[in-house]
Amino acid sequence: MFNYLIRRLLLMLPTLIGVTAVVFFVMALSPGGIGASLLSTEGALRPEERKAMEAYYKARYGLDRPLPVQYAHWLNHVSPIGLKTAGEGFPSSWKVGFKYPDLGESYSSHRPVSQMIGEAVPITILLELLSLPLIYIIAIWTGIRSARSRGKVLDVGMGFVLLAMFSMPEIWIGMLFIGFLTNHMSYVHWFPSNGLHDVQSDSMLFLPSWSGGFQRGWLLDMAWHLCLPVICLSYGSFAFLSRLQRGALLEALNQDFVRTARAKGLSERVVIYRHAFRNSLMPLITVAARILPALISGAIVIETIFGVPGMGKLAIDSVFSRDRELLMGITLIASLLQLIGYLIGDVAYAVADPRVSYVD
Amino acid sequence: MENRFGFKDLVLAALVVLLIVVVCLGMYMIDRQQKILQTMQQDARVRTGLLRDMRNSLHEGIAFRDPAGSDSPTTQKTYPHGDPFGNLKAAERQPGFARGDWIIDNFGTKLAKVNYPIAGDLYAYWVESRILEGLIYRDPETLEYRPQLARDWQVSEDGMTYTFQLRKGVRFSDGSPFTADDVLFSYQLIMNPKINAPRLRAYLQKVKSVEKKGDDEVVFTMTTPYYESLDLCGTLSIVSKQFYSKFSDEEINTNPGLLMGTGPYRLPDPKSWRPGQRMEMVRNDLYWGEQPTFDRCIFLEVEDETAEETMFGNGEMDVYATPPAQYQRLLKDPNTSKHANHYEVESPMNGYAFVAWNEKRQGKGTLFTDARVRRAMTMLTDRNRICHDVFLDYAKPISGPFASSSPQADPNIKPLPYDVAAAKKLLGEAGFKDRDGSGVLKDASGKPFSFRLTYATGNATMERVILFMKDSYARAGVTMELDPVDWPNLQKKIDERDFDAITLAWGGALESDLYQEFDSSQIADQGDDFMSYANPKLDAAVETARKTVDVPKRMALWHEAHRILAEDQPYTFLFSRMSLRFMDKRIQNVKPSKVGLNYVYLYSMPNPWYVPLAMQKYKRP
Repeated sequence: MFNYLIRRLLLMLPTLIGVTAVVFFVMALSPGGIGASLLSTEGALRPEERKAMEAYYKARYGLDRPLPVQYAHWLNHVSPIGLKTAGEGFPSSWKVGFKYPDLGESYSSHRPVSQMIGEAVPITILLELLSLPLIYIIAIWTGIRSARSRGKVLDVGMGFVLLAMFSMPEIWIGMLFIGFLTNHMSYVHWFPSNGLHDVQSDSMLFLPSWSGGFQRGWLLDMAWHLCLPVICLSYGSFAFLSRLQRGALLEALNQDFVRTARAKGLSERVVIYRHAFRNSLMPLITVAARILPALISGAIVIETIFGVPGMGKLAIDSVFSRDRELLMGITLIASLLQLIGYLIGDVAYAVADPRVSYVD
Repeated sequence: MENRFGFKDLVLAALVVLLIVVVCLGMYMIDRQQKILQTMQQDARVRTGLLRDMRNSLHEGIAFRDPAGSDSPTTQKTYPHGDPFGNLKAAERQPGFARGDWIIDNFGTKLAKVNYPIAGDLYAYWVESRILEGLIYRDPETLEYRPQLARDWQVSEDGMTYTFQLRKGVRFSDGSPFTADDVLFSYQLIMNPKINAPRLRAYLQKVKSVEKKGDDEVVFTMTTPYYESLDLCGTLSIVSKQFYSKFSDEEINTNPGLLMGTGPYRLPDPKSWRPGQRMEMVRNDLYWGEQPTFDRCIFLEVEDETAEETMFGNGEMDVYATPPAQYQRLLKDPNTSKHANHYEVESPMNGYAFVAWNEKRQGKGTLFTDARVRRAMTMLTDRNRICHDVFLDYAKPISGPFASSSPQADPNIKPLPYDVAAAKKLLGEAGFKDRDGSGVLKDASGKPFSFRLTYATGNATMERVILFMKDSYARAGVTMELDPVDWPNLQKKIDERDFDAITLAWGGALESDLYQEFDSSQIADQGDDFMSYANPKLDAAVETARKTVDVPKRMALWHEAHRILAEDQPYTFLFSRMSLRFMDKRIQNVKPSKVGLNYVYLYSMPNPWYVPLAMQKYKRP
């Protein structure tokens, strides 16, 4: 098992290099280059201003070197082992050694990429950490109920509703939510329409209080703002997972050991929850590793609509402004998280199913 | 077989996770309280410093001075250039005037940085204009220059030397005093090549030197006479030498939220704003002038249109700028008129949209080298109909690069009419006739009159305009093909002059300088005369106007330039749009002015809007 883990971790490296190389060269070879997009974000410029800016950016980011050299440079900056200047890292006096990885500086906002990603990632992860348990709990529960009452009204009805939910695009649903559920004037104002915090949030106490009328408090205010984005993010996934759970449970219920358990006289509840259910979890674990990246990409739309400052929006903005350093940083982090997700999924396999073993 | 993982274990795991979550939340709560304490400590420190200064001055003794001629910052009698707070004081005399409440505006996009001088975009300027001030500013009603951080100023006869006498007793929002050293420092900060402000630096190249004479007088010397010199020197944003000297160049370049000035508002912490946090500005209690009306100015970053409309409808936003169709729809909506007022204003700042006809491509002449062809194309564009159908009459056709209300525009010049017959006649003179009855205009060798219009994707309104133009031209026998490109590619095409015709828009200015766009010296080197238009008469008019400091002479020259451009039509000047705005009803004293509304984010100017006490919504300061 340990060997397997080491092997998997080492195999991540070629994948990461491949992914980042593709992104780098596609961006670098796309027409327009860095100069144009940067200059256009700051408004119309006079020619001498434009020249000055271009010269400045070239000197600062080394944009006039050949592309493979630029890519190699970026790889060197990012890897913890590589060429370094004497005096930094370990061992200090050598030119090669361990050093602190440096993700570079964003072209469009001139801030360290690690700082920008560091601000955006927690929010996206928060959205996903809230969505994932919600998805799973609802999916498992509805899947089991559907499987138990297979063919009856409950099963068919739930299947229909879930298929409908799966088919509705997030963009549209997000807009509908804002238009109907957050609209004080015309409809109901059950949820806030935008952002993560209320306008007066920094004067709020942290916990809710009941003195002088109910006051939400910062924590509940944030939870209230997160409701709609989380619902929008998760409804598609649990439709899909619920059907998967249903199918897997039905298959498990056809196995011999279930017949034995029933023959032994165990109650239906024990048969399903204690025996069949565990064996039906395998497909769900597989899918879990893949849901995370799907949530990141889905979050792009949700973050734009609901004004949540997360990673998806950062990625889209960096593509449109041809901000290569930022995009490479995001690609690297996102790919790393995905690969780790797959690894965790595989390890969870081995834990959940004793028949699976990685020892060869 | 044992159950390795039962329900009990699941419950246990859930409880452990819950515990971790509670601990994290607790840490977060303490962190938050810590931040609030820190802000309070900082405030207290500033006030203690002030008290100390006051006690010291008291110990030194009090001298009675004549209030009329004193050095106090807001004395009226010694103002040769008018009262800097005239509009605000007029508002104070209105019944129901009160200070307080918040105003909530919307950027409509994410704000990346507000650090002056690094931040280049428009939205950062909206924030900077409330926090930083210049030596002078321009009154929106009369367009005269008013004193701000300068008490008085003199311009030399040749327009090369500008002397400003500075106001005494002004402090920055952190308590440090304002002196001539800060003016010098503000200039040097931008000219420092290590600071990432190439655009501002290029703008200030015309200044040869800035010197101080004593602690309260500064002299700007220009390299050549330039008509905008007073504006250039006087509206330089003043920052604190003491504050900025604490940071290295690198830190100034990378900190997104470093902003501190003498203005009526300040950031709660001048160095720790980060993108993603809501932009809030609070009242600067140490402000030298009349206290502003609103306690806080908040900017939201709502990008989605539906969310924006809903938030305005809910009363969560106070200012809402709308496109024409939405504006009309909301005008008819009874809910909106219950809580909002609407304003339609023309402003020279809105600029204009145009089609530029490329006159030289890869060294060779093009279809549009002949001025008659360009005039014909303008006459084939039904601008009145575009303004009526697409912009619902919230836009107006223009005859030249100046707003019709601007003194630079010659009022006798009208936009060319929509006249297909006259246009066809002109095209016939230039050699394009319908030779074979096919309806398509062809030249002598049989080649049809056809060109490609390049434009930027992403603007649905402009696409409607362009499709309409395509149709009108086709009816007259001119074939127009569409060439939509995204911004970086558009920039590339402009630089390489690789287009037949291109449609764009320029932003406006109170007095626009035509040099960039129309002077023949700007053809080479990727200058902004990207259609290679060259007319020595225009060059002469523009270059002389730029050097002329005397206003009536200069306006006459601009009129001359206007005439030449209307004759030559290097652009087809399409239209100039109006600003359509809804504002919450509780905000009073909102009026149109020469630059839009009576408060705009143009210069750092006092805001005469207010909310009466009874209608105030946000009670906290």
